[in-house]
Amino acid sequence: MLTKRQNLMETMKGGNPDRFVNQYEFMDIILEAPMDLPLAPGPGTRIKNKWGITFDWPADQIGSFPMHDDEHKVLKDITNWKESVKAPSVFYTDEEWAAAEAHAKSVDRNDKFVTAFCAPGIFEMTHHLMSMEDALMALYEEPEAMKELIDYVVEYELAYAAEVVKHIHPDALFHHDDWGSQRSSFISPAMFDEFILPAYKKVYGFWKANGVELIVHHSDSYAANLVPEMLDMGIDIWQGVMTTNNVPELIKQFGGKITFMGDIDSGRVDFPGWTREKIYEDTKKACEECGKLYFIPCLSQGLNISSFPGVYEATSEIIDQLSKEIF
Amino acid sequence: MSKIEEVKAKVEAGKSKLVPGLVQEALDAGIAPGEILQAMVDSMGVVGEKFSSGEIFVPEMLIAAKAMSKGVDVLKPLLAGDGATSLGTCVIGTVAGDLHDIGKNLVSMMIESAGFDVVDLGVDVPAETFVQTIKDNDNVKLVACSGLLTSTMPALREAVAAIKASGLDVKVIVGGAPVTPEYAAEIGADGFAPDAGTAAVKAKELVA
Repeated sequence: MLTKRQNLMETMKGGNPDRFVNQYEFMDIILEAPMDLPLAPGPGTRIKNKWGITFDWPADQIGSFPMHDDEHKVLKDITNWKESVKAPSVFYTDEEWAAAEAHAKSVDRNDKFVTAFCAPGIFEMTHHLMSMEDALMALYEEPEAMKELIDYVVEYELAYAAEVVKHIHPDALFHHDDWGSQRSSFISPAMFDEFILPAYKKVYGFWKANGVELIVHHSDSYAANLVPEMLDMGIDIWQGVMTTNNVPELIKQFGGKITFMGDIDSGRVDFPGWTREKIYEDTKKACEECGKLYFIPCLSQGLNISSFPGVYEATSEIIDQLSKEIF
Repeated sequence: MSKIEEVKAKVEAGKSKLVPGLVQEALDAGIAPGEILQAMVDSMGVVGEKFSSGEIFVPEMLIAAKAMSKGVDVLKPLLAGDGATSLGTCVIGTVAGDLHDIGKNLVSMMIESAGFDVVDLGVDVPAETFVQTIKDNDNVKLVACSGLLTSTMPALREAVAAIKASGLDVKVIVGGAPVTPEYAAEIGADGFAPDAGTAAVKAKELVA
């Protein structure tokens, strides 16, 4: 039986995996690494992070939102971003790094990838600092200021990446940045090429130049029109790929260059009245249609968790069952 | 290119700095305010179609709507009290328990650009608030309810049921990622739209 890491590599390279890669099993994500808060920590909490972004997670909701009313919005005028936006320090004490270092050292790297975690993404950061509408219009109306702001976020991320590399020596990166709604990308490929692609070429290039073998990018959205850009920036695995992307077709077109991790939409199976039967139905369809290579069956959610207790674990059990049925 | 054609082209291209001047030039050339407004509404119809077909993306739609809004600002003093230019009032909101606003905001913008007066209730809107807002505002013809989460689909059903049970003479349109035409019909909505461009078209159909 192949190790989790070997099985992943066989799947990605078009070799002979002996089972489906089961969701996030190949990544040991070092969530203890000190970092700025990318969201509110739990239901019923509201926090302001070090960028000054306020996140609110109402008690009865399944996630947190950046607040963009006049009182809370960090960036009210993109042309004044230099006055409004101040990146926090990327330096943390040895004590703050200790738990992450211990976790990383405990991982058997023959079995799993020691995985760094980065969120929010660069595009997300622009619409956390201001509203989505402001950020998207600024791409047209103040493109130079937006490029400067994006460069500033990139510099912050590169500095943080250097610290992560120094402390935990990751061999994989799990990086968030949602680039679309469920039906389309937020911006056109041409606009993406102008603003976002250069930023990620720098960032992912840095991680890869510093020991990271595997870039796993999370975007639980439609982004099929951006796969060429994903290849260009060095993404190895697109996690969160939703069924709206026609994953079997993407595998036919791009398999061997990138691996698709998802095709089980969390929104369809992860809700209060979830059932094992519904998860089985969606997972079986995904596995049968996508096949054994260049595909990792996985919930579209952006971590190895679910919104409602038991869904992630049930999905993993079903994938194991399907491995026995299909391999 | 005629002045009116220029206005249309610049709205479609999202040239918000140019549109007010062009609208003024069109007025100076003797074109009726209502005609200029209709030209901009038509432009936004084209923008909506292009968005629905995937030819353009959210930023292009946003800047076009902003350009139209700047043009409307020039026309407003001339159109004030001219109810003939409005298709009626649309009350819009994301249903209770759901805080997603991006899609709802796009629909709100496109419905306004189609010629409705819009009362935007924001997010996490209880069913009874939709009903009360219809009662509190004049000429409400349409209510648009949005829901992004599978877990808030029951709240969408409740909102539609409450509006229908109130007996008020309004049409209800629903949308959001997990909403299907079948679900919309099942919960008693009068219309469904998969995106903001289609929502504007459907809204006009419903009140015609």
